[in-house]
Amino acid sequence: MMYWEKELETLPVKGLRRLQVTRLNVTLEQAKRSPYYGELFGGNGAFPETIRDLEALEKLPFTEKQHLRNNFPYGFLTLPPKEIIRLHSSSGTTGNPTVIFHNRHDIESWSNLMARSLFCAGVRDTDVFQNIVGYGLFTGGLGFQYGIEKLGALSIPAGAGNSIRQIKLMRDYGTTAIHAIPSYMARLYDVFLEEKLDPRKDTRLRLLCIGAEPHTEEQRQRIQEMFGVKAFNSFGLSEMNGPGVAFECEYQTGLHIWEDAFLVEIVNPDTLQPVPEGEYGELVMTTLDREANPLIRYRTRDITRFIPGECPCGRTHRRIDRITGRTDDMFILRGCNIFPMQVEGVLMKIPEVGDDYRITLETINDQDALVIDVEIRREWFRGDMVYLDKLQKRLTHLIRDEVLVTPVIRLVEPGSLPKAEGKAVRVFDKRKR
Amino acid sequence: MAYQVSVFLENKIGHLERVTTVLKDADINILTMNLNHTPGGWGIVNLLVNKPETAFRLLSGAGVSAALRRIVVLPMEDKPGSLDGLLRKIAGAGINFTTAYGRSGNGNAWFVVDIEDLPEAQQLLLDAGLEILSDEVVYSLD
Repeated sequence: MMYWEKELETLPVKGLRRLQVTRLNVTLEQAKRSPYYGELFGGNGAFPETIRDLEALEKLPFTEKQHLRNNFPYGFLTLPPKEIIRLHSSSGTTGNPTVIFHNRHDIESWSNLMARSLFCAGVRDTDVFQNIVGYGLFTGGLGFQYGIEKLGALSIPAGAGNSIRQIKLMRDYGTTAIHAIPSYMARLYDVFLEEKLDPRKDTRLRLLCIGAEPHTEEQRQRIQEMFGVKAFNSFGLSEMNGPGVAFECEYQTGLHIWEDAFLVEIVNPDTLQPVPEGEYGELVMTTLDREANPLIRYRTRDITRFIPGECPCGRTHRRIDRITGRTDDMFILRGCNIFPMQVEGVLMKIPEVGDDYRITLETINDQDALVIDVEIRREWFRGDMVYLDKLQKRLTHLIRDEVLVTPVIRLVEPGSLPKAEGKAVRVFDKRKR
Repeated sequence: MAYQVSVFLENKIGHLERVTTVLKDADINILTMNLNHTPGGWGIVNLLVNKPETAFRLLSGAGVSAALRRIVVLPMEDKPGSLDGLLRKIAGAGINFTTAYGRSGNGNAWFVVDIEDLPEAQQLLLDAGLEILSDEVVYSLD
């Protein structure tokens, strides 16, 4: 077994927890220098006292996205501007953007985590790595870029879009590894076919990294089949640097979350109490190696669980499961909590169904209805009405069994649904209130 | 054996026109057609055209869900009672069908039928004394 940093990655759990406690105290000291935490902790000077073990963690307050927004832009900054070398921020279309600042140490630490993540998935310095996501404020571009360089592979900073050019780059330079969002990989595959090319034969691809967008195991399997190589799940969020928070190893049994850099909790989003090991809840994270912009018990809104047991790869950092949804993209329809991922999970198991779909919540005959537009793949169309009618009924039943609400399935022509740009937003709420 | 072109369509303004524009641009003639609709908001349009393979290729290329389906075209006289006579023979041969449509002109009429298990059914139709038009004849109907 090969590791990027053997000692840290295989540190026995006890040692790992001790390291976390040490780093947590350093982080708390550092956090007090920011206006926000300074005021929060500074009232009586003594709080928070030194943490002796992780049991004491629950005494610390949570930090939420709203806090970041309310204290935009410098409220969480612990260092003078002179020390800062980069910021990343969200678009802020729904209010103040969320911005995270980095000093030189933070960028170095993040690059290293990213290199470790890539190495863990099997990327080596001999690879040619094409990074097919947007550069700029989006963390997936520069985050991977610095990681690839740190690891020593040849980076192709291709950026997002222009599939014809992506394919040309892949063929010109013999690309062996790719990073992209999963919905884009499906689109890229279509362009390969249109160009009469087979990515399994006409490229030198060895592996894919997919992330930045929640997706199901079925979707991953489909992408692996299209390209004939393994696709490794990448997880990150801009508040925790970006990518390089958690990554799959060659066993693909969940994502190792780097516990030397992050303190990880999974809590019940209503009670905010930890859930029993192995159960789903909201991921809460504390930075342990970030100087400019530390965050304490940050509520990510992402729903996942710890995967019990040890990974055969020997890494001691726990694994989280793929993100099944967000506490805030869940919608409630006729009293049922529904996550778009549940719907997607069903759709992706049906070979006739295309990659794009759309969920609309509508009011039909004064009743709330779950309407799902589904594309049927062209190659499955046989001109047979009975067959399509049966398929429609089958989808209706399968989704009802999953979400407990009978959906209205609408079959639509392929290509008629708007293609997802960036993170796929697929739920439209048009209910009358 | 003749083919019809079947096309999947959402029931929305302008969608059928997308199909007919492709045919117009390729100078393809529609001999007869029918249009179905389901409560699900979608339907299938069946087109009997003079160049089905070309139509299928062009429609698929334009991103339309299209399929070639084998059909039989049964000729009859254009006068009262001939469809009744034809249907009696089809029923007598023990054959069921899901989609059918017609065409008439110049004193002749044609019945287009989409039958499951077509190869077997075809023999039964011939045994029942029905005439089945060859594809050359079908595609050159005017």
